[in-house]
Amino acid sequence: MTVNGVNQRNPKQAIARQRFIIEGITLIVLAIGMMGVLPSLLSAFQLKLLGRFLSLAIVALGIDLIWGYTGLLSLGHGIFFALGGYGLAMHLSLQLPEGQIPDFFSLYGVQKLPFFWYPYYSLPITVLLVIIVPAIVAAILGFVVFRNRIKGVYFSILTQAALLVFYNFFTGQQKLINGTNGLKTDTTELFGQVVSSPRMQWTFYQYTVLAAIAIYLLCRWLTSGRFGRLLVAIRDDENRVRFSGYDPTWFKVLVFAVSGGIAGVAGALYTVQSGIITPSAMEVAFSIEMVIWVAVGGRATLVGAVLGTLLVQYARTTLSTQFPEVWLFFQGFLFLLVVTVLPNGIVGLFNETLWPKIRGRLGFAPPALTYPSLDNDPDLQKEREQFHTTPPPDHPPQPVESLSDSVDEDRSRP
Amino acid sequence: MPQPILEIDHLTVSFDGFKALNNLTFAMQPGELRVIIGPNGAGKTTFLDIITGKVQPTSGSVRFKGRDLRKLPEHTISRLGVGRKFQTPRVYLNLTVRENLDLACNRNKNVLATLFKKPEKRDRATVIQLLETVSLASKADLPANLLSHGEKQRLEIGMLVAQSPELLLVDEPVAGLTDEETERVGDLLISLAQSHSIIVIEHDMEFVRQIARQVTVLHQGSVLCEGSMDEIQDDPRVIEVYLGQAPTISPSQLRILRIAAAMAWADGYFAPEQLQVILTRLSRKFAPDPTQQDDLRQELQNYLSKETSLESLIPQLETEQEKEQVLKLCYEIIRANTINEQESVVYQKLLELLNLPDGVVSQTEEAINLGMTNGTLDDYLNVT
Repeated sequence: MTVNGVNQRNPKQAIARQRFIIEGITLIVLAIGMMGVLPSLLSAFQLKLLGRFLSLAIVALGIDLIWGYTGLLSLGHGIFFALGGYGLAMHLSLQLPEGQIPDFFSLYGVQKLPFFWYPYYSLPITVLLVIIVPAIVAAILGFVVFRNRIKGVYFSILTQAALLVFYNFFTGQQKLINGTNGLKTDTTELFGQVVSSPRMQWTFYQYTVLAAIAIYLLCRWLTSGRFGRLLVAIRDDENRVRFSGYDPTWFKVLVFAVSGGIAGVAGALYTVQSGIITPSAMEVAFSIEMVIWVAVGGRATLVGAVLGTLLVQYARTTLSTQFPEVWLFFQGFLFLLVVTVLPNGIVGLFNETLWPKIRGRLGFAPPALTYPSLDNDPDLQKEREQFHTTPPPDHPPQPVESLSDSVDEDRSRP
Repeated sequence: MPQPILEIDHLTVSFDGFKALNNLTFAMQPGELRVIIGPNGAGKTTFLDIITGKVQPTSGSVRFKGRDLRKLPEHTISRLGVGRKFQTPRVYLNLTVRENLDLACNRNKNVLATLFKKPEKRDRATVIQLLETVSLASKADLPANLLSHGEKQRLEIGMLVAQSPELLLVDEPVAGLTDEETERVGDLLISLAQSHSIIVIEHDMEFVRQIARQVTVLHQGSVLCEGSMDEIQDDPRVIEVYLGQAPTISPSQLRILRIAAAMAWADGYFAPEQLQVILTRLSRKFAPDPTQQDDLRQELQNYLSKETSLESLIPQLETEQEKEQVLKLCYEIIRANTINEQESVVYQKLLELLNLPDGVVSQTEEAINLGMTNGTLDDYLNVT
């Protein structure tokens, strides 16, 4: 019986390919649904809301990368989110007739545009800067922190401290970026259209869906393969990684920078769909909320990050319109619930408990692995035939020696 | 003489004034399998920390193949060819066995290569061979947190080998393993020693005996002595370090005691009568006055817990007189209670190894037989 079961099982590669195809099809269907079907079903207001949720889901993907996979809990992603948002908002504020500078400058007696505004006249450069500025800030912050081997709770505290520094800087600098008031984008124009017009909002929604898919694919690529496994290895045992010959510092700097860049994109998309960016995007509570979304959805699952964000945001909109004072309690309760009952989030609950049950009910539960079947795995046999230079049985094999010989040859080669 | 693979010269490490290593000098040739033993707090793990760059020395130098290792970060030292296994198995629990090995055998370990280069077919072959070497092929695709403690130990050793280091540093590889697993790990290390230089730190003396060729004893941060297992075992300084007091008996006396213990343990049961024979006989022989004899009895009892094989001990006896002493004592030991089959087998082996004239043997046996049948054991021991 067991042997039959094993033989009928598809080889692992075929299963992997099948999964890949299923995932691809799902993504395409989702993209068509969200870009083609949903806009005609939802009202303009609902669509704008969905666009905002989706841009927040993009930050959650970035948080998942650095926290879920690499194990570094960042409480400072508000910085990168705001930097991206301010970038695009500055570009929009500069859509003025020749020689004029944005209105708010006159309030503080500023005559000349501050130097760092100039690159934002150009749209392509702005788009680039929206990604690169947060990524560089994250890389610098990350390099200083990771090189000194600061990790765990100290990393979280440091990122939060950095967040407060940025918050205070932005609120204090009226003459540079309008301080607490922030930059309004809804009355500005882009390509001759008012940004808050339904037509523009529809476009921004479409871009958000595209960005979400692109960033999902980017994260998917980063977390599969050796690089992704190394991130998990850093999370599990950083010292072991070091003694295996990897320098974890650069891996962590890269992931933190990518995560920061992703937050920047999200910030920009969120800003144009909510009409304003203020330093409040750098409030401590908001950065902690981002972490909650990922925790609710399930750490180290990209789908979980997106689902968690959409669910929490949906709950928030529904609840806070009806009972505005309840929302914060509910959010705290939700976090407690996830930490105590669902350590792996919704996706974890589904994968570990619900899905096996459903499969069992439908009658195609996977057979449990047992010893004889583990040993007789046909894939393994095939692998052995393919790769193992099996020595004749009467000579005891000395794979270690032969292995290191071949390795040494490779080493000496330049 | 070839260049030593590892050279440590007058090395001192102090933590806030506490000297974990004190003026330690150590050298090792390529291809050596060296075991380092020492009581708790002797500085064994600090020793490895220094080599791998985890701790920086206060003074002195560490050279690997002639290259100074000070100030180099851990990953650089690892890439130079020094692999380290930790005391508790440290593997990536959320990755499968195969993925664990694959990460270790990745040839180019910088960020971009890891991100963009596809794993080569050669790497896959290496991993499959390693899976066989550490006998984990059937569990290749299970996550490492499902492995048993012993399997994790083997996996970590496999990861070490995957790095293709020239020098392997192995910290207590058999802690918490069953006897069978211990032996497997021992065999694995011996087979690895054919193509690597290995330093093993270990507490388990049985295991040390299985694998050791050269042993270095560390004590209070310095090298106490170096030599083969037999030399180390009889060194009075080593015994002092391990048992807390210096032996008052000489090495040759100790040897006789060991043979006696081996004989008493022959049937796997150390009878009280046998103990009595050994203690009275030897304490009286080695010490002149009764109070010293009492102390000595205590001390001797400590040494009796160690089992050793006759084959290695008897050739070390120097004079005929010593051999006759041994013969007499051993016969008394097995004669102290009824002789059973296993005891007689070991006794025959003893006779063979001693290689004394037949006349001497039968005379001695007869004298003892006569003495023992005539009264109680106490009487016999007191009279003769």
